[in-house]
Parts: sequence; C-alpha cells; structure tokens
Amino acid sequence: MNAKASSWFKPNLLAKTFGIAFFVYLFFGFMLLPCLNTLTQIFTVKNADGVTDPLAVIRFFFAGNMPKYVWNSLKLALCLVVTVNIVGVSIVLLTEYFDIKGAKILRLGYMTTLIYSGVALVTGYLFLYDSDGILTTWLYEMFPNMDRNWFSGFNAVLFTMTFACTSNHALFLRNAIRGIDYNTVEAARNMGAKPFKVLLRVVFPTLIPTMFSLTVMTFITGLCAMSAPTLLGYDSINPEIVRLAGSSIADEAFPQARAALLSILLAMFTIILLTVLSNYERKGHYLSVSKTKAKLVKQKITNPVANVFAHIYAYVLFIIYMTPVVMIILFAFQNYPAIRSKTLSLSDFTFINFFGSQDYEFMTNRGKLKTRPDAISGLFANSDTVGGIRLSFVLSALAAALACVIVVVAVNYIFKNRGKKRSTVLEYSLLFPWLLPTILICYSYRTFFNSEDVWYVFNTNLYMRDNVRFLIIMAYTVVKLPFALRMIKAAFYAIDEELEDAARNLGASGLFTFLKVKLPIVLPSVLAVFALNFNALFTEYDMSATFHSSYGKTYAMVIQNMCAEEGRDGYNVNASGRRCASTVFIMLVSGLILYLVYGVGARDLADRLALKEKRRKRREKIVARLRGTGEKAAA
Amino acid sequence: MIELKDIVVKFGDFEALHNINVEVREGEFFTFLGPSGCGKTTTLRTITGFIEPVSGTVSVKGVDITHVPIEKRNIGIVFQSYALFPSMTVYNNIAFGLKVQKLKKQEIDDKVRAIARKVDLSDEQLEKAVSQLSGGQQQRVAIARALVTGPAIICMDEPLSNLDAKLRVQLRNELKKMQRDFGITTIYVTHDQEEALTLSDRIAVFNKGFIEQIGTPNEVYNHSKTEFVCNFIGDINRLEDEVSAAMKLDPARHHFVRLERIRVNRPADENELRLDGVIESREYYGLYIKYYIHVGSQTIKAIEKNDGINIYEPGEKVTVGIHPVDVMSYDAAPDAN
Repeated sequence: MNAKASSWFKPNLLAKTFGIAFFVYLFFGFMLLPCLNTLTQIFTVKNADGVTDPLAVIRFFFAGNMPKYVWNSLKLALCLVVTVNIVGVSIVLLTEYFDIKGAKILRLGYMTTLIYSGVALVTGYLFLYDSDGILTTWLYEMFPNMDRNWFSGFNAVLFTMTFACTSNHALFLRNAIRGIDYNTVEAARNMGAKPFKVLLRVVFPTLIPTMFSLTVMTFITGLCAMSAPTLLGYDSINPEIVRLAGSSIADEAFPQARAALLSILLAMFTIILLTVLSNYERKGHYLSVSKTKAKLVKQKITNPVANVFAHIYAYVLFIIYMTPVVMIILFAFQNYPAIRSKTLSLSDFTFINFFGSQDYEFMTNRGKLKTRPDAISGLFANSDTVGGIRLSFVLSALAAALACVIVVVAVNYIFKNRGKKRSTVLEYSLLFPWLLPTILICYSYRTFFNSEDVWYVFNTNLYMRDNVRFLIIMAYTVVKLPFALRMIKAAFYAIDEELEDAARNLGASGLFTFLKVKLPIVLPSVLAVFALNFNALFTEYDMSATFHSSYGKTYAMVIQNMCAEEGRDGYNVNASGRRCASTVFIMLVSGLILYLVYGVGARDLADRLALKEKRRKRREKIVARLRGTGEKAAA
Repeated sequence: MIELKDIVVKFGDFEALHNINVEVREGEFFTFLGPSGCGKTTTLRTITGFIEPVSGTVSVKGVDITHVPIEKRNIGIVFQSYALFPSMTVYNNIAFGLKVQKLKKQEIDDKVRAIARKVDLSDEQLEKAVSQLSGGQQQRVAIARALVTGPAIICMDEPLSNLDAKLRVQLRNELKKMQRDFGITTIYVTHDQEEALTLSDRIAVFNKGFIEQIGTPNEVYNHSKTEFVCNFIGDINRLEDEVSAAMKLDPARHHFVRLERIRVNRPADENELRLDGVIESREYYGLYIKYYIHVGSQTIKAIEKNDGINIYEPGEKVTVGIHPVDVMSYDAAPDAN
C-alpha cells in the first residue's frame, strides 16, 4: 500500500499533473470562458422595461447602421484580396522569376514591410499623403484647388493595406517560386510553349496552394483591419468594436452587446474561411515529383516592349514602397520647422527628434513671445514615448517568450504522445485562438475580466489600474500561440526520432534529452518565432487600442497619439519629428532582431565553428604581424 | 551471451514477432538478415529495450533483462542514421553518455580521447561539428559514442545503408576490423545479403516475423534450410519441369541451382547433366560475366569468370552442365512460386 502511495509522488507525475492543470487553466480561463461570456452578452440584453430580450441586439443590427460596418469590412477584404495578390505576385515574379535589372535592390525595397508594418507603416503613409503630408503639400502647391484630405477613407485604406500586406507574399510565395523545379520550365519550353504560357500553365499551378492560403489570410486581415481604418478614417468592424467597447449605455443603446455581436460575426467569418482553407490544404496539391530538382533560372522577357513595361512597373512599385521609408528616415533628422514646411535641408540636420530636448518659443495671437520649456523633445527624452517603448518592450518580450515556452513544452508533449487523443486535444486547444479574431479575444478579456467576480483570477479586476498589463500579456500570448505552434511543430518534425532513442540508450533522462539534444536543435526556430512575435507585438495596435488606458499605453498608442497631438503652439510641437524618429527606431529594432535571428541565430554548429576558426586565424595573423613589426623595430 | 526465448511482439492486433529464439555467443558478430518489414529491427529494438515483448524473455549472460530500462542494459547502439547530435561537437557527442553518468571531467576526457584514437579520429576532428565529417568519419563517431561507456554488447541497425556503394564496401571492412579489435559481441541488422555474408560469424534470416534459419554464412548460402532463404540469399535459378525431369528430380518439390554452379562449355563431369543452350544476353561485370542462356523452355542464369578469352556472344550455342549435388530441393510452400 505504501509503495503504491509513494509511486504517486514521482516528480514526472507531478510535472505532468501541473502541466495538464496549466493547459486546462489556460484554455478554459483565458480562451473559452471569456469568449463564451461575450457570446452570452448578445442574448442577455435588457430592454427599456428591464426585461431580458435575447433578440434585441439582432433586431437593432438590422434596423440600425451596423450592417454598414460589416459591409465596409467585407468590401475592404474583397478588394484587398485582388490588390494584394496583384502586387504580391508582381513583386515576387519581378524579383524571383523574371530577369529584371536591379532585382536585388528591388527585393530590399519590397521587403521593407517586414521591418516596417502596422501603425508605423500607416503613420509613414500619413506622413506622405496626409492633408499635411509631403506629397499633398507638393501637390497642393501645384493644384491649389485640390482637396487636401484626398488621402482618407476607403481608397486610402485600400492603398495603404495593399502595400502593407504583401509581406507574406514576399516570404512565402517567394519560397514557393524558388521551390519550382526548373526542369519543368525547360521541358515546357522544349515542347514549344511560349514564356507566358509556361508561366500560366507550368509555374502558376504550383503556386496555387500558397496563393490560396495567402488569399484567405489576406481576406481575414482585411476583415479584421484596425490601424489603417482607425488612422485613415474608415468605418469598419474593428474600430467600431473598440469604440463601442469604450462607450456607455448612457450614450447609446447596449454598446457592449453590439460590440459582442460584431466580434462574434467576425469570428464566424474567420471560422468559415479557415475551414475552407484547411479543407483545401488537406486535399493535397501539385507537388514536384522530381528526384533531383534544378534551381530556377531567371527568365528573360524577350519582347522588348514587355521588358521595358515590366521594368517601369517594377520601379514604380519600388518607389511606392520606398518613398515613405526614405522620407521618414530623412525627415527624422530634420528640425521642427523643416518638417512642418516639408523641406529638406542639410542646414536643418538634427538629432533632436531622437535625443535631448529644447524650449519652444512662439508668438501668441496678441503678439507676445512665449516660451514653452522642453516642448521640443527627442524620442528618448520624451517621457511619454520612452514609457510607451519601455512598456511595449517588456510586455512584448514577456508575451513572446511565454508563448514560445508554452508551445515548446506542449509540442514536446504532443510529439511524445503522437497519435494519442490527449495530444490531439492539446494541439487543438492551442490552435483555438486562430479561429477567433484578435479583437474578439481582447474585447472578451476587457469585458469579462473587468469585474471582481472571476474566481479563478482570485476575484481580481484585471482591467483595473496596472493589472491591465497582465491582461495585455495574456492577450498577446494567447493570440500568438497558434502561429508559434505551427512554426515550432514544424521544427520538431525535423528532429530525427533516433536522436531521442540514442540519448535514452546513453542513459539520459527525458528532461536531459530535451534540454541537451532536442532544444538546441529547435532553438533557432524557437528564437525566430520569438523574434517574429516580438516584432509584431512591439508595435501592435489592435490589442493596445482595445486595452487602452493610462496604465496600458503601449508604443503603438503613443505613436497614434503623436499623429493626433501635434499642435502648432502646443506641447508636442515636434510630434511629427518624433513620429519619424519612432519609425526609424522601429525599423532598426525589427531589422536588428531579424538579423540576429536569421543571420546569427540560423548559423549551425559547423558555421559557428568555422567562424571561430576564421577569427582565430585572423587574430594569429595580426599577432604575427605585430610581432614582426616589433622585431624589426628592435633590430 | 544473449538469449532471446520465445519472444512475441505485437503492435495492436498485428503480431510482428512470432516466438523468436536466438542465442548469440560472446564476441560473435551476429547478423539479423531479411527483407523490409520482416522483424529484424523489431528484434533488435526488443534487445535494446525500446520495445517490450508481449511474452518471452531477453537475457544477457543468464540475467533476465526483459523489463530492465534501456539505459541500464549496458548495450550500445549504432543507429541507421547514426543519430549524432547535430548541435554538439564530435567530442561532446562521444562524451554524452559519460556526462550522463556524471564522471569527472578528466576521466571523461581520457576516455573520449582513448576511444577516439582506437576508431582513428584525430584531436582536430574531435573539435569539429558532426556535419563537417564525411560519412565514414561519422560512422566512426557513432561507434565510438556507443563503445565509450563500455557496453557488453553493441547493436548496429543498418549503419551502412545511407552510404554509397564504394564507401559501403570500404566501411564494411573497417567495421569488421574494429569489431575484431574490440572483441565485442555485435548484433548487426541488414537487408543486404552481401553485407551479411561478408561480415558475420553467424546469420539469422528473418521472414514475416519468423526466423527461417540460423547459421554461418556458408551454411545459409550453400545449405539454405528453406526455399525463402535460398531465394533471398544470392541469385538463383529455379529449375523448371523440363530440366528437373531430365535430371530425374522429384517433380513434387522445387529445385534450385546457384548461378556459379552452372558450368558453361566446360569439359563433361561425372553424373553431370549436360544441356544445349543458346546465349540470350549477357551482363558484363568486369570480374565476371553473367549469361542468360535459353535452355529448353526456360532461361538459366550463369556466372563465368572473366578470363578475357572465353567470352560468349548472344546467339552463340553453348553447353550447360548441372551437377545433381549442386541442386537444392524444397517442398513446395503454398506461397513460394
């Protein structure tokens, strides 16, 4: 009896029990229950008589202007599918398939969205096309009758998001096109097919699976768009949910229930689309059957007119991608008057947008000279901005790390228990947030945890005061779990099962094998997931906007405030400059992280040892040279 | 040394091993040979402890280890893929098992360097990543890693299958030499009959979860116990009715003759059956030539040493001689056609 009882207290069993309890807690506590609460909000609305009316919101939906938001989002999503695919396919073909002069530079330009996205990108476009933007200012000088607010609403959102959403094409479609077996192209050419026919009949069919996935993801992105519609003024679902979530019953009819309904509608669209996508992926597609793939050779466009047209098209796209980036970088180093007048000058070069502060002197309407102390301040001298950066840095790093740790532990368990029901349940529960739009999760958190009745968080109001930071971390983590799972699971697939057997045979325990054998193998992928998640969260806007409070003012919210706050005589006179500096800073951080992950982190042991050896030889050479010089001098 | 007694292994309802009985002697190079899915790797994994049998026992030196955990069996393994840890240097790969045993740093170092010398790995190679080594060097690392902890037995699961033909032959010889030098009991799994014949002291031929025959290479090749073994090991001619009748062989049985026992255009031998044939085609292998000879109603394959003089052209008439003692006869198995 005793022996049996003591066997219950094995550390492995304890760890397993703790693990199961944690995942149950995470799934029910931070995924299912808050979202179910949102769903019930729709049907528990009370009418004017104080009686519960389950269909009140739905009636309101059809009677009011709510369908407009849904239609606007759908319209945006549909149009984005067309425009993003056109631009996305174009940039990949122009840099990877066709022989275009300067393709390397073009590729760099097209890939800027990888380090410059979300709210930073939108503010970049605003800096150029806004009523006060550089291009608008120049155009206005040429056409004084033009509408200075031309860059707003649907067209502006579509334009901005078209170029913002091609990052996935630049990554995944590029890989797909690089995976094409060139022998198939040669075979088609050999049988007399013209280049265009080869592209249409041989190349495109192999890209269809990737294109389909990208199309669905673009549609969902369009449907759930947040930063661009908010900043550029377009009435779509997500900004409306955030607005309603912050509204009170005194202002309008059951705002929370309406927000819940819109969130659930988004979730339904997402679930339908993802179901279509996974069904399509399951069918299997055109895979290369070649045993020895030949590397794709770039195709020359033989028709000279088409060639010129392709080059012009490539460089026009390049200009569209690069202009906001270049302008922002240049103006980040210009002083306040230069930014206001949108003129570049070497004499106006300054670091004030990054470091230090100075007083701002201005003339009032009554002709009095006034001084506003420290009104011009750099990115790292402005307490608001530094606070936002610090908060975003900490929250994003913690959430990105937490998502990775949770997923690594879970995937290790899933692989150990492959084919068993419990591992399938665990996998699906971690994929669950994928089905839900981010806004639904955040909105659900905001409403569900904004009370002291949730027992499993010790009856603490998590939306109150600085507790909201914990809520943001949880939201960030939960939202990033599905992506982390897909990527890290793929990395685990690459581990040879015999490695684990070998370690066990040599006497290693499960934990030792995991730490010393498996983890080092998947670490580059885990770090890549961490970096990509961190990058996305560091300037993330959608969730920040939902949780926005003085305790949860993240970097994206600070940037958004910069867009709104700039005043001629006000406190944030150089908000535009700081905005430019912010974007440069974001690009630097993102670029550095991507370099560390893909440049340094991707090196395997052989690369690292080779580099070490190279450095050692270089050191020896220098020492020998120095010695030689010393001896010569002594002689 | 190692004894498997009535081992039965099941995967769900599927019985992968049916009453396997094997005894491996100390210091012996013992091979499990058979086609894919015949149960040879399952038997090896049962010995190493990765698979627990439904019934039967595994014992080493008389001690039952059937339920002993993998790490306590003192059996080294060289895997098919070598399973070298890619994130570690060669040194750390070899030292892995010693570190798990928590030996002192100096002791680990001494043992690693000693075993490295024995398997011909230089100090420079020890500091390399495993991916920087050739296939042959990787194999040596895998062997060193398996041997450094001083196991009583070493198991090798098709360690040459991922290599090209030339390297395979070269490493085969090195492997045999190393086994002799270390004097360690070795169990080797392969589907390559040539590998089994050249390396082994004894061979167990597996088929569909059963052992068909255990014997020396000469026994399994020249005195195959079953029709399966006779067909699986080496190329062979099955004599059809016309030839069998001419040799007065039992028509109820299946009769086989090895290719090298067919005598083409040789002087008549006592008791030999001589048949007229015509060369259909030939395959030139350098050291020898393989002929396809049309004899009566069947094609008989024959191998002749390439002496550079007696080379027969397709269409050329030849005399084929078969000695009755070279014929191996088996009762017709239901599925052995």
